[in-house]
Amino acid sequence: MVNKVEIYLGASSLRTALGNKRETLDAMRRGVCGLKYEEAFGMYAGRSEVQTIEGYSRFESMIIEQLDNITAESSISLQSEDVQLVLSTTKGNIDLLAEDCENIAEATYIYTSAEAIARRYGAARRPIVISNACISGVSAFVVARELLQSGKVKHVIVAGGDALSEFITAGFASFKSISSQPCRPYDAERDGLTLGEAAGAVLLTTDEALAAEGKVRLAGGAISNDANHISGPSRTGDGLYYAIANAMREAGVTKEDVGFVNTHGTATRYNDEMESKAVAWAELTDKPLNSLKGYIGHTLGASGVVEAIISAEELKAGYIFGTKGFTSSDTPHTLTLSNEQQEINGRCCVKSASGFGGCNAAIVLDMEPRTRIIPERTRTARVVAEYELPQSELPFAEFIRGEFKSFGESNMKFYKMSDMSKALYVAVERLLAMENMVYTEPTRRAIVLTNRSASLDADVIHQQILNQHLAEGASPAAFVYTLANVAAGEMCIRHKIQGDNTFFIDNEDRGVEEEYARALIERGDADVVISGWCDYLNENWKVNIKLLKA
Amino acid sequence: MEQLIQELKEHLIEELNLEEITPADIDAEAPLFGEGLGLDSIDALEIILILEKYYGVKLANSAEAKPVFYSVKTLAEYISANRK
Repeated sequence: MVNKVEIYLGASSLRTALGNKRETLDAMRRGVCGLKYEEAFGMYAGRSEVQTIEGYSRFESMIIEQLDNITAESSISLQSEDVQLVLSTTKGNIDLLAEDCENIAEATYIYTSAEAIARRYGAARRPIVISNACISGVSAFVVARELLQSGKVKHVIVAGGDALSEFITAGFASFKSISSQPCRPYDAERDGLTLGEAAGAVLLTTDEALAAEGKVRLAGGAISNDANHISGPSRTGDGLYYAIANAMREAGVTKEDVGFVNTHGTATRYNDEMESKAVAWAELTDKPLNSLKGYIGHTLGASGVVEAIISAEELKAGYIFGTKGFTSSDTPHTLTLSNEQQEINGRCCVKSASGFGGCNAAIVLDMEPRTRIIPERTRTARVVAEYELPQSELPFAEFIRGEFKSFGESNMKFYKMSDMSKALYVAVERLLAMENMVYTEPTRRAIVLTNRSASLDADVIHQQILNQHLAEGASPAAFVYTLANVAAGEMCIRHKIQGDNTFFIDNEDRGVEEEYARALIERGDADVVISGWCDYLNENWKVNIKLLKA
Repeated sequence: MEQLIQELKEHLIEELNLEEITPADIDAEAPLFGEGLGLDSIDALEIILILEKYYGVKLANSAEAKPVFYSVKTLAEYISANRK
């Protein structure tokens, strides 16, 4: 349990509705809100000013701007085998679907877009892509810290972003979760979230010489799942609490050390309630806490990256920005909130996020050199079962119904799931019939998956509903499945999996998730992991999963 | 009212993907949420869409929703009182 590797935050860059990094920090310091009513979306939103680069999409251009800044500032080149790009996004170029959802353009595939970005820099290593709903950005830090601690690479550039489009705005509107005003996190009058558009990137490095001023370290990180509901936040906050507690344990910090907490703070009724419970469990209610959503909105795949970069700046400054839009609290537990700046005592902070699919993530950023709990990796992972969902002559609906019926049980939820979730459901049932996971605690179980199509099959269904221009809007039951990790979230509910649930995207089955699954077991973060490839698009499926145990 | 209840059950089965369920299986007076049909918050949002799409009925606020969403019968009563 010795302190083998410290991970430093190096150069960083971001773009939000408030401008670039310097402009964003300056505006937040002055309490400026970047959210405006956007006629095109019929709601308040935080749109970024994006200079589109020729040959690249809006999303890609946003990411490239940040990568250009980082590579210019740090002399780090993706051409080196020592440098890994980890990209986080929820939807990538999903706006392409509005043009034609019959013939899906190749750039709609998230990994193809990531490769186009990597190619611009002549990247030696293939990018690692994470699409884990609203925790994607924080997830990227968690995956990056494993790559660095294990010594696979010396530097990781974490980049996250999402472009706003009707696909996303109409989807959230169908959930009745959009605020009628600029969002007001934790406020008694809050009535929903405001979407934002942003991108951010940060260099994470084991080379102290490349650390940015102030030497903020990525000291710990963890992912969890509520195993409760695919869209509704937990009623207890247990999942988020586990992520916070595990991240703090790894970082070697106690609650006394924590200077502040930067939560997700989306300003929906249930999210903020849930977070107050998790923060209370972690005994951090007396620590200054803020949400940045009132300035820049909920920036989806960018949010974890952008907000972590800003949190690092706040740590260095010794105070946190006020929670814009907050005046008085009504959450079950009273948090230390203010719409004014708050001074912090303590050299580390907790950054958290939660998202659809029941996922939660937390990281600890620390200015103090401390003894971290870095695993000895004395355990090895072994594959104890493997299952591939067979192909069939039958149409998928008929095939999967037959498979499901063979289990001889009635579960009304099954028929409501997306086709990818149904395929995964059956495969996991069969896998766990060979070797089960019931002997372990829910928090010691994990599920990590990869695919190429992300949630494109469900995305097309959502887009087709949008194309009908219905007066009553989109279908929430269709929209909720437009995130690949929600299929994993269904499995978490079904089999009470409360550990890591990272979803990777790749154009081919290279086993990126299995490498991570093995690391979870070797590190001691999980005792049993479902790992594998799970892809479904338009009657074509490939689900090939393994059960790994210590 | 009987006809409206029957029609409403059919819309629920269709729009909420209640496979293997027939209108006769749904007790119009039994609670819609919780046990039984296994409906949840996403289904509640879908039911709001059904009310708008087929009956032009909008729920004024979410506080109003709970008693209205109790059963198929309470939904039908709300629709007949508010439809245009």
